[in-house]
Amino acid sequence: MICEHCNVRQATVTVTQIINGQKSERHFCEVCANQFHPFNIDFKKEENLHLAQLVSNWFGLPIWKSEAQEQQTQTTQTTTNCPTCGSSFRQFLNDGKLGCPQCYETFSNKLPQVLTKIQSGTKHTGKIPGTTTNNHLVLKKQIDSTRDQLQQAIVEERFEDAAKLRDEIKDLERKLEVGGVDTP
Amino acid sequence: MNLEHFLKNEAPSWMSKSGTDADIVISTRIRLARNLEGYKFPRVSSEQEAKHVDNVVTNALLNIKKGERNFSHFTIKEMPALQRQVLVEKHLISPLLAKKEKSASVVLSNDESISVMVNEEDHLRIQCLSPGFQLFETYEIADQLDSYLEKHLPYAFNETFGYLTCCPTNVGTGLRASVMMHLPALTMSNQMKVITQMLTRLGMVVRGIYGEGSENLGNMYQISNQVTLGKSEQEILEDLQNVVSQIIQNERNARGSLMKQAPIALEDRIQRALGTLKYARIMTSDEAATCLSNVRLGVDLGLIKGIPISILNECMIFIQQGFVQQYAGTTLQATERDLFRAKLLREKLNVENQNSKEKGEEKYDV
Repeated sequence: MICEHCNVRQATVTVTQIINGQKSERHFCEVCANQFHPFNIDFKKEENLHLAQLVSNWFGLPIWKSEAQEQQTQTTQTTTNCPTCGSSFRQFLNDGKLGCPQCYETFSNKLPQVLTKIQSGTKHTGKIPGTTTNNHLVLKKQIDSTRDQLQQAIVEERFEDAAKLRDEIKDLERKLEVGGVDTP
Repeated sequence: MNLEHFLKNEAPSWMSKSGTDADIVISTRIRLARNLEGYKFPRVSSEQEAKHVDNVVTNALLNIKKGERNFSHFTIKEMPALQRQVLVEKHLISPLLAKKEKSASVVLSNDESISVMVNEEDHLRIQCLSPGFQLFETYEIADQLDSYLEKHLPYAFNETFGYLTCCPTNVGTGLRASVMMHLPALTMSNQMKVITQMLTRLGMVVRGIYGEGSENLGNMYQISNQVTLGKSEQEILEDLQNVVSQIIQNERNARGSLMKQAPIALEDRIQRALGTLKYARIMTSDEAATCLSNVRLGVDLGLIKGIPISILNECMIFIQQGFVQQYAGTTLQATERDLFRAKLLREKLNVENQNSKEKGEEKYDV
């Protein structure tokens, strides 16, 4: 039998298709079958996509479905690369790691949505280098956390606590205004 | 100090002191991840950049005034593979660092309680180890070193994100506090699965003793915080402290009920393990770890006398393949390793028994 498609080579592949219960058999040579085979998908590409998808699923971000779509979205999206190390946010999504400290600055608006998935907050509340007790930053952080507590107290209708917290915040703000020096 | 000091067949000296709850908590580890401003993270940095980071960090550490602590610096590239493995097994360096070809190095304190890895995933990984359950005390040591280093190194820090790290799972405090626990009774009574799930919900992780991916060899578990951002160091440590205290209590209860319900079966298991360790000729690392766990339980419950816990701690490190090969003085096939491992354990345990016997006799004389 001769290949139905090129009509030149010997047909060696039989493709049986069942579409809506209708069975059809077609005969191709190996070369043509390679081009026509309905299951002939480039598996490598698929695999890469799966991995990327896994990572971005984990981070809870959408991933572009196909290369064509990807190109489209990329043109509409302004891709910012980190000026220091040149890595892009997409690269970060792929391997979950950043290139340099500057990246945090570069992707500062996109990172929080990733961080909420893997951390318990998006703001640092711990140690600060060069900390002294009256440090500007420490005060700010303290005010922030006291405000959170105040909100919590209001929600839970603990108004006595809330009043105390409000006074505390005032005190802290006064300290902040006088440049961190605690003057009476 | 030369490298041999850190490779000899002895447990590190910090391990000889006993800590609180030492019957259940073997050791406490604090790790701080830090990076330097203006340098790319090690995974993308150039050889030259990495070397510069190494120099800057090493100088800062070696300049620490004498009398306080002495540090020694070792370049990973210059070490033979077996020596690297021994350091990994002692938890002084990570498996990742051991594989690094770029200017990666480690700076060790003489008692091995502090190790600073340079150019691992982050520029600096400050690690402090203590025996027993001492989260706050150990953090204090790490914090002091960190505060000293920040005066000499330009740390990458950001007001919102805290200490910046290569992987966002470490950003913020950069703090990973872990506690190595021996939980045979909870394992025997199949409670570990529930505990593991519970801990995951609390933002903590349970791992095998040899880090990510290793199974619960010898009923040893490493429990550590997962979250590093949004909580202060104090909160992270307190949370872990509370959880670990509860697990200690549960383990004690489980041990108590084991003793009540099946004292003979338990003692049989424990004494068999001791016999195996003392007389076996072929010993895989799995079997050795299991037997050591049973003997440790026996010592803790007072069923075995005359074996100090320090010897068991030592054996736990020595049964690993790098150490066995170092003991043999050559690289070995797996089957050969099992022979040497059995020999090593026999020596350790039988020698120790003789010593304690002698000591006992002396007591009678005096």
